[in-house]
Amino acid sequence: MLTMGIESSAHTFGVGIADNGKVLANEKLMYDVGSRGMIPSKVAETHVRNARTVVRMALEKAEVGIKEIGGVGYTKGPGIGACLQVGQLTAKTIANGLGVKIVPVNHAVAHVEITKHETKLRDPIALYVSGGNSQILKLTGEPFRHYQILGETFDVGVGNMLDAFAREIKLRPAWGSTVAKLAINGNYIEMPYTVKGMDFAFTGLLTYASSLAGKKNKEDLCYSIQETSFAMLCEATERALLLTNSDELEVCGGVAQSTRLQEMLRSVCKEHGMRFGVARNEYNADNGGMIAYVAERMLKSGKSEPLDRCDIQQRYRIDKAVVV
Amino acid sequence: MRKLSEGAEAKVFETRVFGVEAVVKLRQKKAYRIMELDETLRRTRTRKEARAMLRTSEAGVSVPRVLGLGKFSIYMEKVSGKLLKDVPGKRVSFANMGAMLAKMHAANVTHGDFTPANVMVSGRRMYIIDFGLSDISNSIEDRAIDLLLMKRSISERQYKELAGSYAKAYAESKRVFSRLADIERRGRYQIRTLA
Repeated sequence: MLTMGIESSAHTFGVGIADNGKVLANEKLMYDVGSRGMIPSKVAETHVRNARTVVRMALEKAEVGIKEIGGVGYTKGPGIGACLQVGQLTAKTIANGLGVKIVPVNHAVAHVEITKHETKLRDPIALYVSGGNSQILKLTGEPFRHYQILGETFDVGVGNMLDAFAREIKLRPAWGSTVAKLAINGNYIEMPYTVKGMDFAFTGLLTYASSLAGKKNKEDLCYSIQETSFAMLCEATERALLLTNSDELEVCGGVAQSTRLQEMLRSVCKEHGMRFGVARNEYNADNGGMIAYVAERMLKSGKSEPLDRCDIQQRYRIDKAVVV
Repeated sequence: MRKLSEGAEAKVFETRVFGVEAVVKLRQKKAYRIMELDETLRRTRTRKEARAMLRTSEAGVSVPRVLGLGKFSIYMEKVSGKLLKDVPGKRVSFANMGAMLAKMHAANVTHGDFTPANVMVSGRRMYIIDFGLSDISNSIEDRAIDLLLMKRSISERQYKELAGSYAKAYAESKRVFSRLADIERRGRYQIRTLA
């Protein structure tokens, strides 16, 4: 049986096809953020235009026909409401047309689980870092099987913080990855550093760095904001690893693509003889493959929902999602 | 030197100061962060921790005596005893603990990690240890978090005892309790503890 997974929580419309734990296709089209960031209605319009194309791309990539799809999964949340609705509608239309089972999937669970699958780690602490989210997670069995949040951001996600900074200093494209490129030739400027146990906060850092826009050179600002924010994540993560006596760490989500963050986390693990894992970039960016992978497992364990109960939830927290 | 414990930012070793048994808390270099940031954090945190310990001690609360201070290290008295988290039933006087917390907060010190893992029970005396996450501040939020972290790890009856004596001994306690109720109502910003 093949399972199709549809992702549309933010700027990416992605469709994946999974077959017994193997991802056969992982296709996507993205909204161009340019220098403005994301305008929800515009992103959703783009997804509506792209939906059919991406579904077709995935079927072609997997070399299968739509009739061979035996189950559908979609991202229920967390994400931008208008965007989530497009994926939800696409999934419901396909499931209804084919008369197959459908299951809502938590986006964060999908990132953590596909990374666990790719890296073959058994029971890692997960650092989930993306635009809207920054959390330190651990799988627990009580009172149901779910990811417990050990630590998280008090305000914004690290990705959105870096993107917002990129817009403040007028980088193009206004992405954290552009900040990373400029950071290579920067020098350190002291900036606010906020870690409380396993939690952390980024807005103080963002406000301070933005206030220096135009007064200090861009390279130095990019270098310092990146080093400071990543060091905060590393400290909180290291504390979580030691407090839980864990010996494995995975990093996932869009910001996990940063080679500097990977290098820093690898260094944390090396110091304590722990194993470190990160998935290929196609799974760190938002994608439908991870949704297909998790949806397949959920459907196999009987977790489907009737069509009229297939909703979306913008703030669908990971600790509310059952993990199979 | 024998290592006693290891946390995310420091290691604690057994040592001797002028022939007396002592411990040294050493903030070691972290290879993951750049040298400038690493040194700044280690230096300022070491200084802040020592200052918080001294202030708390001056306020009449039992903490390990600070014996010496290096750039990245604090030498302190070795307190023997059992951590409260390892005391069966946590049978201690929570009224005393409430009074200790009140004195510390009145001296503008917030602990930042006030859990049964950071209270040492030595005979009839209790010591507050590990000021690694402490702050010198008048933040009501930080005070409420000190209460909250302990509340999460003890029984309802024990908390009542603690809160009762804290309320009596600390003039600002009303504001702290009202903030505590706010924090407990928040969704995303829940404070977690593993102790």
